[in-house]
Amino acid sequence: MTSRSLAVAVLCLAVGGLAQTVPSYRQLVYPPLRQVKIPEPVSFTLKNGMRVFLLEDHELPVVNGLALVRTGNLFDPPDKRGLSTVMADVLRSGGTRAKTGDQIDEELENIAASVESNMGETNASLSFSGLKETAGTVLRVFKEVMTDAEFRQDKIDLSISQMDSGIDRRNDDPQGIAEREISGILYGRDNSYGWSIEHADLARIQRADLQQFYRRYYFPKNVMLAVYGDFSAAEMRGQIEALFADWNVEQPAVPAFPAVTAKPAPGVYLAEKSDVTQTFFAMGELSGTLRDPDYPALEVAVNILGSGFTSRLMSQIRTKLGLAYSIGAGWGANYDHPGTFRIVGSTKSASTTEAILAARAELEKMRAAEVTEQELKTAKDSVLNSFVFFFDSPAKTLNRVMMYEYFGYPKDFLFEYQKKVTAVTRADVLRVMREHTNAANLSIVAVGNPKDFGKPLNAAGKLEKIDLSIPPPSAK
Amino acid sequence: MRPRFALFLLVPALLAAQSLAELQKSFEKQVSEFTLANGLHFIVIERHDAPVVSFHTYMNVGSVDDPGGETGLAHMFEHMAFKGTPSIGSKNWPAEKAAMDAVEAVYDRLDAERNKGLRADAKKIAAIQMELEAAMEKADSYVEPNEYDRVVESNGGLDMNAGTGEDSTNYYYSFPSNRIELWFLLESERFFRPVFREFYKERDVVREERRMRVESSSQGKLVEMLVATAFAAHPYHNEPGGWGSDIEHFRRPAAERFYRQYYVPANMTLGIAGDVNPAEARRLAEKYFGRLPARPLPSQYRTQEPVQEGEKRVMVSSPAQPFLILAYKRPDRHSADDAALAVLDAVLSDGRTGLIYKDMVRDKQLALGAGSQPQFPGGKYPGLFIFFAAPSTGHSAEENEKELYQIIQQVKTSKVDEQTLGRVKTKLRAALIRKLGSNTGLAVELCSYYVNYGDWRKLFTELDDYDKVTTEDVQRVAKTYLVPEHLTVAYTFVPEGGAK
Repeated sequence: MTSRSLAVAVLCLAVGGLAQTVPSYRQLVYPPLRQVKIPEPVSFTLKNGMRVFLLEDHELPVVNGLALVRTGNLFDPPDKRGLSTVMADVLRSGGTRAKTGDQIDEELENIAASVESNMGETNASLSFSGLKETAGTVLRVFKEVMTDAEFRQDKIDLSISQMDSGIDRRNDDPQGIAEREISGILYGRDNSYGWSIEHADLARIQRADLQQFYRRYYFPKNVMLAVYGDFSAAEMRGQIEALFADWNVEQPAVPAFPAVTAKPAPGVYLAEKSDVTQTFFAMGELSGTLRDPDYPALEVAVNILGSGFTSRLMSQIRTKLGLAYSIGAGWGANYDHPGTFRIVGSTKSASTTEAILAARAELEKMRAAEVTEQELKTAKDSVLNSFVFFFDSPAKTLNRVMMYEYFGYPKDFLFEYQKKVTAVTRADVLRVMREHTNAANLSIVAVGNPKDFGKPLNAAGKLEKIDLSIPPPSAK
Repeated sequence: MRPRFALFLLVPALLAAQSLAELQKSFEKQVSEFTLANGLHFIVIERHDAPVVSFHTYMNVGSVDDPGGETGLAHMFEHMAFKGTPSIGSKNWPAEKAAMDAVEAVYDRLDAERNKGLRADAKKIAAIQMELEAAMEKADSYVEPNEYDRVVESNGGLDMNAGTGEDSTNYYYSFPSNRIELWFLLESERFFRPVFREFYKERDVVREERRMRVESSSQGKLVEMLVATAFAAHPYHNEPGGWGSDIEHFRRPAAERFYRQYYVPANMTLGIAGDVNPAEARRLAEKYFGRLPARPLPSQYRTQEPVQEGEKRVMVSSPAQPFLILAYKRPDRHSADDAALAVLDAVLSDGRTGLIYKDMVRDKQLALGAGSQPQFPGGKYPGLFIFFAAPSTGHSAEENEKELYQIIQQVKTSKVDEQTLGRVKTKLRAALIRKLGSNTGLAVELCSYYVNYGDWRKLFTELDDYDKVTTEDVQRVAKTYLVPEHLTVAYTFVPEGGAK
């Protein structure tokens, strides 16, 4: 007992003594950040026109690659929405002329490797990953999938059946509904930016459509390939040159993606869902591209409004009002076409209208008066001090270099962005919010159970119902 | 032809083994560990390529430690850990403290009146509630909102968040490496002298989180009912978020008691990975975390789940498309069969060559997705080996259930072939290699292996355990554990008139 009390006494002394030596965070002085080493990828163009970027990274015995193909689901034909997605799926699962997709699965997984195909809005991708000791095999499979896809019918059927099941499940997740419907409203549903894929579209997709889409877009001049990992760049170059030497198909240059022509559709749109205790909401309008000279100021402004735990939306609606767990905003700029500016959140059914009005009021405040000096400083410091994380892995650098070239951005775009963020003022924040957002033009989507809404939702504007029913396969 | 075939089989079995042995040797040199006098353990992983560093605090406390009637308390403390300290987050700490105590005094009177039950005076309750609102408003007026978060974010802190599970609570973010001392300061402060300010507002936020994750998600509701059914007595019975009414009722003093009991230094492991100097880390650890007083470790005993003596079924009404879960009782992670169960799981559902994917998704097209998970909801105590399926359109949960039994029967009655076993082992090795390339991943993995197995090296040595697993072992654990009397089945069904 005695010794224990003594120990406690000594400990208290020690604690008392130490506590005094601990400073406030305000007193800490940080050494300058060590200069970050930005690796320089090797880039070259193969004889067939394919662009290649290589970056050595010897930390782990793995080799990874990512190819971008200039296409996207923005090129889906209006009567066969979803074609590009099915094509990308079956590109991998449907095998090559020499091997079925199932055989490729076995071959790759036996060596713990992967080849994956994906379709995005403005690019398709084909990626691979493998251990150093079997990199040659993985690269060969990757090349065969890229250049010699067979699109076997059984895997087309599987892909379409899976997408049909996905359509039938699309109203199960309330947040998913809110995100999908706000896109549809902001871009319009008569174009590839805003429409949804329906059963009838999938029913019209034939193997010949896939082959045609594939031939049109998967050709060397339309592909960029980045490879990084544990290899010598000179040897890898030789390997890629030899491997792709026999791929010489040509096609006319791919046109630009269709332009966005949507007009604002202000209003409040309600999707009824009976089995939820929360309302999920999304409100927004079209934003812009990364090229917009106001983009850096907009990014700072929308950070203050709704990014991170210190934003106004978080402070007001979560911390102060306790109305939401999840609430935030993003400017959402894209490389080549206007994105969507959105505020998204969720709240218990009874506070639906209150939370939506409170969120919109925060946007109005951003447009009514300048932010405080501290808010501006926090937002800018947050961007500038975390800038180093753009360079914390060679893969990030490599992907960025390739993305900038894909979309025709200057190599120093990120550094220009950094400079412009540094220069943003309170007046800039107010100006860009006034010029680029309009609280009166917002489209507001709410997904929830209106019988439990406290205050009626039409307090937020003219109410229109969203029809969530899924058109059956036979419908147009 | 035969020898060549055999050689082909041999290659995948050995693949990655040598690379991994070399990696482990060099990796050992990057790792250092130390324990402070108060019991707090640090693991430091050096990776100097980029001037960034990731931090992970692994608290060996989770929802299994929630007191009865106060489920969700571990999760509630996790939220309070972002509310600051006397010196971070307050405009005037002495005044704020007095105002916070006044809130509790009013709340005590409210509870006292409510506790009268039938004889409680509704008017009095309403009047005290008004007082309570006013008292909270006064306390909140001293708050410097979200100051803790602001300091982290404005210093370039990235991906700051936290999570509460059944077995553990985890706090993490990354900083540019010149801000290492700031992390030591902030992280030690919040566990040394947390202030539970804005407690009741945050309780509302936590309640909203439950509405989002559980009440408004058909799968969330299904999983909640699955564990509530499978576990009759052990606290895995409760989801980490807690039950709605408990959240609406627990009080600040309960959360403070929970903190004092479980947030003791010896229950805390910290991982630091990236551009960090171990000697400097040790100096800063002594300076900042040495302040935390040593306290006794809490008991690890939890009500033992009695042996299940027959199948249980639970149905959850939902207009959503069907979902199905089969859950078999299994031992905790220290069981000698743990490695064989992990290999069995990989055979069943890893990648496109897993038995379940090939049979149910690819060939018979019964499911949009299906698979298994070897350890659910946690591993500290005996848990579940689960199978799940999202039936494709035109196919029912019942059909999927039947098919899963077919596959289970198959792994019980016949051995998997050697090629499959070799492939699975290679993939497990390769998965580890790929994990070693990220600061955030390393910080959490090493902490987690240290806490759960006593040594972070288990991250590597568990591969030896996998390597020793034979096809007989896989069959044996399937026969031992995948038995009907230890099964719980949970599925959603569309209520009458509920289908669109």
